[in-house]
Amino acid sequence: MAAQGIWSGTISFSLVAIPVHLVKAVQPGRVAFRSLHNTDFSPLVRRMFCPKQEKLVPPEEIVRGYEIEPDRYLAITDEELESVSPERSRTIEIVEFIDMKEVDPIYYDHPYYLVPSKGGEKAYRLLVEVMQRTNRAGLAKFVLVEREYLVAIKSTEGALTLFTLHYSEEILPDEGLAPKEGKLEAREKNRMKNSIKEMMADFDPGKYGNKHREKVMNLLQQKMTEHALVEAPAVEEEEEGEGPADLVATLENIMREVKKSR
Amino acid sequence: MNRKVVEIAGRELSLSNLNKELYPSCGFTKANVLEYYGRIAEYILPHLKDRALTLKRYPDGVEKEYFFEKRCPAYRPHWVETAEIRRDDNEQMTVCLVNNLETLLWVENLASLELHVPLAKKNSPETPDAVVFDLDPGEPANILDCARVALILRDVLSRLQLASYPKTSGQKGMHVFVPLNSPQVTFEDTKKFSKAVAVIMQKKYPDLVTAKMAKEERRGKVFINWSQNDSAKTMVCVYSLRGREKPSVSFPLEWQELKDLTGQGNPEKLQVMYSKAVSRVGKQGDLFREVLVKEQRLPHL
Repeated sequence: MAAQGIWSGTISFSLVAIPVHLVKAVQPGRVAFRSLHNTDFSPLVRRMFCPKQEKLVPPEEIVRGYEIEPDRYLAITDEELESVSPERSRTIEIVEFIDMKEVDPIYYDHPYYLVPSKGGEKAYRLLVEVMQRTNRAGLAKFVLVEREYLVAIKSTEGALTLFTLHYSEEILPDEGLAPKEGKLEAREKNRMKNSIKEMMADFDPGKYGNKHREKVMNLLQQKMTEHALVEAPAVEEEEEGEGPADLVATLENIMREVKKSR
Repeated sequence: MNRKVVEIAGRELSLSNLNKELYPSCGFTKANVLEYYGRIAEYILPHLKDRALTLKRYPDGVEKEYFFEKRCPAYRPHWVETAEIRRDDNEQMTVCLVNNLETLLWVENLASLELHVPLAKKNSPETPDAVVFDLDPGEPANILDCARVALILRDVLSRLQLASYPKTSGQKGMHVFVPLNSPQVTFEDTKKFSKAVAVIMQKKYPDLVTAKMAKEERRGKVFINWSQNDSAKTMVCVYSLRGREKPSVSFPLEWQELKDLTGQGNPEKLQVMYSKAVSRVGKQGDLFREVLVKEQRLPHL
């Protein structure tokens, strides 16, 4: 069965409509850990704490606040936010075909694969091939989970990939970061160019495995064989007393009758 | 044939590895598992409806490793209904809802032999529909001891004007359900109630019952696990298969029958296998249907 994914709908432009669904293209290789209490290895949970009242705050007492200035907020409810969140898109409407070379990687946010849904296979292949040959990418606006994204759809090794892009206002200016004063001499430029030339290679990401992850996994494997497993204790609330007094009294009476009748 | 595409309600479902023996000791294959769930569907679906499913998957059969899966797999067919639930750590999580036959067969195609669900429905995750007494025997106590405790519990509960319904866990224990079906009740209520009952049972029958979680307290006794009355916990669904050596089922019994079987003293007689399960529901219908509809109130809370 094909992967079903995060979203399904249609890519469309002019008279073309291709049914597709969106699936993850990357799986971060980070090894996930839970936080445990080192005295008894109970898994810990996060709770919201009010430093003023010095107590834990239950979820129903939490609202969002937009900070206007230090210690001044606009409180806003989930309902209010929902009222301005966009409708989920049913289509990815391509508005322009751009040259992918013009998109600096700084704009790339997150990659996904687009997979053809039933009946879309042929049109999908056609689009993959033509975009590959022309090195063009489709630009579209698209709502995925309550947020409108600017996305680029391009062809990557026989498949359509979709990149969510950062909006231009999200890109921080590089002013003041890079020095621009002073003249660079031709001799120095040449020397730098030669150094780079000597180290030129084709990009082969397979050469660079995630060594850190590998080491962590080896460490875990080793601990496993040493039986260094720790087990969390079963959760038990040892409250005082046996329960509400009325209930306990009633139960006491009933239990006497039950024992007598058996 | 090892693969097969079936169409249910106009939806296509591709079934795979049908010849794989999921219960190797008795040659019970994935095709048999799918057939069982297909035949029991009418009875199990009302109990799964609108509840966040936890899959317990045995991809290589009951003799190999299993794993729990709470998230609904991202590769699910588009017609699988889901719900967004909030976990303890406040993270959102997408879960499967088994609301129709095709979804039931899809999760079984993932070799989720056991189906576990919470006591509350997705739209009211803090409102339990029932109180449960999860009776778990500590060796050498067995299911007969659980049945004895269940019978005493029934007596106690009925004197509180509460009807209760027993089922086998399909493993070694028993579950007694007290339906409430009231929007006012909270897990705090049901936990308080079940704990008070468990504690007094331990006090009156100290050789038979314990209300304490600690393993060393449980030896030779029936542990009344009242802490299952919690929004974060799940129970194996009535009519679910269990991942034991043989395909046993968590199956509802009548009180009189439980009493008679307990009197006979053979623990094996309290286990219901898949074939018996199918033939029994055909005759007697769903003995657990009252659990879904009967409205009752807990006293003194």
